[in-house]
Amino acid sequence: MKTSRRKIAASVAGVATLALLATGCAASGSSDGGDGGKVTLSITTFGTMGVDANYKKYMEENPNVTIEATNLEGGGAARDDAYAKIAAGTGLSDIVAIEEGWLGTIAEVSDSFVDLRDYGIEDEKDTWLDWKYAQGTDADGRVIGAGLDIGPQGLCYRGDLFEAAGLPSERTAVADYFGGEDATWDRFFEVGQEYKDKSGKAFYHSPRFFWNSFVNQQEEGYYKKDGETLNIEDNDVLKDQFVKIVDAEKAGLGAGLPGWDVGPEAKEGKYAVYMCPSWMLGIVQGYYDEGTTDSGWDFADVLPGGSANWGGAFLGVSESSEHKKEAAKLALWLAAPEQQAASFELAGPYPSTVEGQKLVADTKSAFFNDAPIGEIFAARSEGVIAQVKGPEDSNIQDNVFGPIFDRVSQGEITDGETAWKEAMKLLDQIVG
Amino acid sequence: MTSSTLTKPSHPSTPPRSPKPAKPDLTFKQKLARFDYRVSPYLYIAPFFILFALIGIFPIAYTLNVSLYDWHLLKGQGDFVGLNNYVEVLSDPFFWNAFRNTISIFLLSAIPQLIIATGLAALLDQALRGKTFWRMSILLPYIVAPVAVAVIFAQIFNQYHGPVAGLLEAFGLEPIRWAFDVLPSHFAIASMVNWRWTGYNALILLAAMQAIPRDVYESAALDGANKIRRFWSITVPMIRPTLIFVVITSTIGGLQIFTEPKLFDGRTNGGSDRQFQTIVLYLYELAFPRRDFGRASATAWILFLIIILAGLINFAITRAIRTADAKPVPIASGPAAAQRAKGAAS
Repeated sequence: MKTSRRKIAASVAGVATLALLATGCAASGSSDGGDGGKVTLSITTFGTMGVDANYKKYMEENPNVTIEATNLEGGGAARDDAYAKIAAGTGLSDIVAIEEGWLGTIAEVSDSFVDLRDYGIEDEKDTWLDWKYAQGTDADGRVIGAGLDIGPQGLCYRGDLFEAAGLPSERTAVADYFGGEDATWDRFFEVGQEYKDKSGKAFYHSPRFFWNSFVNQQEEGYYKKDGETLNIEDNDVLKDQFVKIVDAEKAGLGAGLPGWDVGPEAKEGKYAVYMCPSWMLGIVQGYYDEGTTDSGWDFADVLPGGSANWGGAFLGVSESSEHKKEAAKLALWLAAPEQQAASFELAGPYPSTVEGQKLVADTKSAFFNDAPIGEIFAARSEGVIAQVKGPEDSNIQDNVFGPIFDRVSQGEITDGETAWKEAMKLLDQIVG
Repeated sequence: MTSSTLTKPSHPSTPPRSPKPAKPDLTFKQKLARFDYRVSPYLYIAPFFILFALIGIFPIAYTLNVSLYDWHLLKGQGDFVGLNNYVEVLSDPFFWNAFRNTISIFLLSAIPQLIIATGLAALLDQALRGKTFWRMSILLPYIVAPVAVAVIFAQIFNQYHGPVAGLLEAFGLEPIRWAFDVLPSHFAIASMVNWRWTGYNALILLAAMQAIPRDVYESAALDGANKIRRFWSITVPMIRPTLIFVVITSTIGGLQIFTEPKLFDGRTNGGSDRQFQTIVLYLYELAFPRRDFGRASATAWILFLIIILAGLINFAITRAIRTADAKPVPIASGPAAAQRAKGAAS
């Protein structure tokens, strides 16, 4: 009896010691030091950024560098991950991909990231689109993010379903049908109604996506230009569109689908259009087998309400990195035109550099019925407004309007006025 | 005192060994043995307490500290606000919504889980062929990582594509909006919890059942008690302490539920309209998307107090049951009783 108790005590002590050792090890980090010698650089990205091939190339060109890459599923996960690590003061990768939607929040603690001007980003300032470069700059003029991609939006549509419903299906005809350069949201809803009447099916996926496009089309979005004052409550422009969306939902134009991307329903024909930012192309494609060319998906050079940009990433180098110089070098290399072009060819994120855009001008997408996506995105990114994002921008998008639209889609709220009131109530609770 | 020979001994009849053990008499080895005897146990348990202080007490105290300040996740400590964070949390309808959801999911999971686990344990307590196989099989769900369970169940309960939806359709029933309506979502989440923990609890209860002396059952059987009577009059009372342990652990676990509701709809924090946002998810939302660490910490402390309260209620119930239990149970006299007494003595 006595011995067995002792044995247990000893083993408990042993396990505890092991646990202590394990935690001790985890805390000490894993980067190999050494100047000029071997360097391991960690990088955290999200979604489908198409950067893997670039890593490989970089490691071949720089044999002393090993890249440890982590790719998180979505921007939301990447955001929470980055926040937690900044709060903890440790754990950020050497290079962190930051999404436009939460860049404003990161800018509040911009000293967590190095000023890329110290690593020569200013010499290449002219490569980037002006507004993209400006977005990566904080209030004190520090450049914390090197622009990677932008998200100009075009219209993804199912040519086969359009044809079946008796609508034009050829991409320039589709663009014209929606109004071409003067396409409006009202026309969008009209076409939607026509499609619904003729096919009996829902027209679009869910309203939260094109609500997002609409907000991004405005001079000032959820925030005024100062990036601090909210611009929602008495904003009649937003409210009008909001009410129109609720009406469209009531008319059954939406498929009421959940999720933040096109979803597996893209394949099933449950809806026929989607406002695709460049990086969404890779996601649509991801639901199909590699090499598919008969999906029915096509891509048109049109967007209701004019040009809009949705998202786009930046690469920042964390202040806690032990290899800032090497990391900055890699970050700037990844954000350089050639690499941006390579990512675009692979997964669709559209270059944020002028040169990069030129490189991909002739790119066509076999998946999207050979659509000249390079050309279309170049046209779609003209006239994009670089809107000032406030600290709660992505929070408002995800936790105020997201839930309200879900309730509208599910038929819980059918009246625009009530839905808007509910949204304002939620806004007040969450941001107020 | 003992070494003195000149002074008059106070007690001439002092026995050769004084009743007080004289310290200098101990050899080094004896001292070591004494030290070992007295101190070692503490040393053996020390690692646990050191670890507990480091990863248990310190964070709890630190959280208390954070909860008294305006504390931004990224920008850090702000002004001291006293109990203001607590007031804000307790007056937030979202908190009470989360509280209701947590209790609802807890009840939907704990009650069926305990009943099924007890039943399963009773079945496994029978003489079965391939005992180990059966026992291992019910533990299998426990081995699967909760994240995987949540992902799989989110598919199963997918309103549009899930097999459950298919089944409902096959029977011509209306589709259930699993991730949108309050009660169905709670049911779906509770089913994940049940799937994972029922087997685990069944094994703990089985261990308790195996510890019941077999002759008790034999004597009861001789006295004519059937299987069901034996289960209710012997098994259940005798595994009561273990049952209470299981209840307490599942209460603590149930109140802290996070992974299942988080991953049931990963893009939200407990449903698009907080249909299944639990207290920990509410805390998570405050801490990360909303970056209010002060209020998140206050929520953590409120949850801590709720769990302590639940523990105390459990404890009170346990004591009440034990007092009721102390009454001697009338047992038939005769050979069976003698048998039982003999069994107890051995």
